[in-house]
Amino acid sequence: MDQIVAPSSPERAEEVSLPTLEVDGELDLAVAPWLHDQLDALFVGGAASIVVDQSEATFLDSTALGVLVGAMNRCHERGGRAHLVVTEPQILRVLTITGLTDAFSLHAGRAELPGEGAGK
Amino acid sequence: MNAMTAEQRQTSAREVIEISFPGSVEFVVLARFTAATIGARAGFDLDEIDDLRLAVDELSVSFGPLDGHTGLRYEFLRQGETVSVRCTREPIEGAEGGFQAEREVINWQQARELSEQLLDELVTAHGREVTAGRSVAWLTKHRGSTVR
Repeated sequence: MDQIVAPSSPERAEEVSLPTLEVDGELDLAVAPWLHDQLDALFVGGAASIVVDQSEATFLDSTALGVLVGAMNRCHERGGRAHLVVTEPQILRVLTITGLTDAFSLHAGRAELPGEGAGK
Repeated sequence: MNAMTAEQRQTSAREVIEISFPGSVEFVVLARFTAATIGARAGFDLDEIDDLRLAVDELSVSFGPLDGHTGLRYEFLRQGETVSVRCTREPIEGAEGGFQAEREVINWQQARELSEQLLDELVTAHGREVTAGRSVAWLTKHRGSTVR
């Protein structure tokens, strides 16, 4: 599990130690159970917010999206947010069609994540 | 004399491709690959091909969890600039189970709802029916029908 690099600003330290999952390739039904397990592991330790970096992913179907929605709901229950790093237009299109662009915190790169640019 | 160009012949021809595979989720990628190929032959642009690939994938979602006794048969029909796809859930004689357990983490009700939303936008028309006692999910997509 990767950690986002902590910025120099101490008041934002809590924001940037978000558990992060990097995924690549095609996120479909074949991958969804693995994705579920990996996301489940992010919440170990009581994390309220998570990051799923999909910048290397090229495909997202409804089953994998459903798994992401489950993780997002878990974040909301804990008062946190689910951050998605999305660069692939087709994945963004899936989120747009399903009306989930506002439910997740979407980012075009890791530099946009909370506190990521603070020390730069 | 009206001579047809090679491109005109390609776009006016009728082509049918059929693929069948066991109810293991890993094989659905074959349907997506076929969709990309036949979409390109129908003159779809890259965005439309991406949409068709996703839509073909979503057809299998409409059936919910498959088990080892069930396979999928995809029929792709290209007629000019229109692609039609039928996905039929079929029993596999003598097959063993074993795929159900790895799908238990999927919320199928939610996946179907998301899938319906996606298909509504991705294709010209789609639906489900029962033919000869078998569940069929189908779609039709015309070139240039997608609005982004």
